[in-house]
Amino acid sequence: MNILVFIKQVADTEARIIISSDNKTLEIENKYVINFFDEFAIEEAIRIKEKIKDSRITICTYGPARSIEGLRTAIAMGADRAFLIDSTNYESDDPLIVAEILAAFAKKEGFDCILCGRQAIDDENANIGAMAAEFLNIPHVNCITRLDVLENGKVRVESEIEGGKKVLDITLPVLLTTQKGLNEPRVPFITGVMKAMKTEIITIDPASLDVPKETLDKNASKTIIFSYEAPPQRLPVKIVEGVTSGEKAKALIKALRDDVKVI
Amino acid sequence: MSKDVFVFVESKEGVIRKVSLELLSKGKEIAGHLASRLHAVVIGYQINDIAESLKVYSDSVITVDNELLKEYSWDTYTAVFAELIKRYNPYMILGPSTVTGKDFFPRLAARFRSPMVSDAIGVDFDDNTVKIKKPLFGGKILSWVVCRSDSMIFVTFRPNSFSIEAGDLNGAIVEEHIEVTRDPRLNIVSVEKTISKKVDLQEADFIICGGRGVNGPENFQILEEIADLMNGRVGASRSVVDSKWRDYDDQIGKSGKTVSPKIYMGCGVSGALHHIMGMDTSKVIVAINKDPNAPIFQYADYGVVDDMFDLLPILKNELQMVKEEV
Ligand SMILES: Cc1cc2nc3c(=O)[nH]c(=O)nc-3n(C[C@H](O)[C@H](O)[C@H](O)COP(=O)(O)OP(=O)(O)OC[C@H]3O[C@@H](n4cnc5c(N)ncnc54)[C@H](O)[C@@H]3O)c2cc1C
Ligand SMILES: Nc1ncnc2c1ncn2[C@@H]1O[C@H](COP(=O)(O)O)[C@@H](O)[C@H]1O
Repeated sequence: MNILVFIKQVADTEARIIISSDNKTLEIENKYVINFFDEFAIEEAIRIKEKIKDSRITICTYGPARSIEGLRTAIAMGADRAFLIDSTNYESDDPLIVAEILAAFAKKEGFDCILCGRQAIDDENANIGAMAAEFLNIPHVNCITRLDVLENGKVRVESEIEGGKKVLDITLPVLLTTQKGLNEPRVPFITGVMKAMKTEIITIDPASLDVPKETLDKNASKTIIFSYEAPPQRLPVKIVEGVTSGEKAKALIKALRDDVKVI
Repeated sequence: MSKDVFVFVESKEGVIRKVSLELLSKGKEIAGHLASRLHAVVIGYQINDIAESLKVYSDSVITVDNELLKEYSWDTYTAVFAELIKRYNPYMILGPSTVTGKDFFPRLAARFRSPMVSDAIGVDFDDNTVKIKKPLFGGKILSWVVCRSDSMIFVTFRPNSFSIEAGDLNGAIVEEHIEVTRDPRLNIVSVEKTISKKVDLQEADFIICGGRGVNGPENFQILEEIADLMNGRVGASRSVVDSKWRDYDDQIGKSGKTVSPKIYMGCGVSGALHHIMGMDTSKVIVAINKDPNAPIFQYADYGVVDDMFDLLPILKNELQMVKEEV
């Protein structure tokens, strides 16, 4: 099985983020990690390889040079190869562009199955998976909770739907997005880390991929972030008064009913 | 291209989802701004009643009624919706940021190579430019996104972003006929639905969320009772889900669901950042914790420092009384 995994390096939840004084840019503390949901994709790929011996796992990210760190972690976990599609000179915020570049990479490398996270925790889009699948004209399934490779060139996947579960058999090639519950991502062994240090991370220019010229244009993005702002600050907490639980409950209800009028 | 607005109407067991009415209400305002028409788009099977009840909310109700559309699947829904877009040439296409909306809107946007903004929470106008408000980094930052005006725009909105206004329009129902074919690469093996009359967590107006402080699955009973009383839902922190006291479906936070109810009530939840990220756009946040130094108090509007097992039964009775007064 030829497996591709798309991963993204994202600012850690704890990273400090400051909005510039003109509200046009963000300054993000240099604390980056592999996107939470992408770890399940890497882990699942490794589990497939453990079952189906002649599998190959290729990890790929479209991002700046610092993303190499995430690629190395994926190699340390057990992936075979890793590619950095260098975004330095191109647009990287518009999901259409990112998906198109990743799809072009997938087309070039070939694959049976693409795994990626359900959502990036920085832009919170949850777009790339379905968009890349559309560009590749292959089926996708979002938020899978179980994956079994069948004998007949198909996979059986279980996924979360509104208030329930759905099980599908899908003809390969396919794109699947992963989330918590699918598996428990492993922590790399030291031997893996050593191997990752020695593995060459191949850097490629998106211009070497078969994507339309317009996509790589400086002004290609069809969505533009006009400004950033901090979320509205809540007033300091009001601790409801009262000695007994009864008094506190009454005070809370009064506040909800009379002050903020939500009940 | 017209400046018309499409709203994808999602329903569940024959009932229109609240978020769809929210989007129609906002859609009416947007169409007003653009001096254009608002279309409610309903696709499914035996959807007459739904279409009828949508007339007051839109200038036209476009329906595609076909047995093959009974259950949602991205292949059929994307194809049908794409055909409607070709027929009507709308400018803005709005949908809910639900499991369904998140599943096929990106595919549609890619099919038309048109910009998409997902999980948005607001809209504004700068002269004639539409600006869309979208949270980033778990709500730590809000961004305003503009799209190039020469192309169609797809936007999905988080439930509870807008209020529902009374409908005063009188749209006509337009039945569109579109041939539906299933993608042969997909084979449904089984669909398991826990049929529940309860609202979805993300759409609930009232959420009472239990944390590790609830101390066992059986103790969620009182939270359930309060949720039922308020027509709301019980949510859970990750510790609770990891301990298998509640299903993952209930998890609120960075690795779970993002919710923004009118009232979020956290009981025995410490308020870790990963949890806060999933609920800090709630309108009113109430924290109930016996530890006065619990971090959740930094994010709450109202705090109750108390043992939840003492407080909740009394709170339930008080709420019951308020309900009976109305
Ligand atoms: C990558 C990552 C992703 C994560 N994603 C999520 C997520 O999506 N959602 C999430 O919730 N967490 C998430 N977490 C975990 C998060 O960091 C916290 O560990 C978790 O939220 C803590 O859950 P808790 O508040 O229920 O438990 P605790 O932190 O143990 O807090 C229990 C609280 O209950 C109070 N308490 C105890 N008994 C009572 C009583 N009788 N009455 C009143 N109060 C009482 C205590 O004072 C305490 O404050 C994530 C963590 C990581 C690393
Ligand atoms: N720049 C990128 N490079 C590689 N994979 C990405 C990139 N952006 C997003 N992804 C993948 O797509 C998933 C969904 O991202 P998003 O649509 O941005 O929320 C992520 O979890 C990643 O697996």
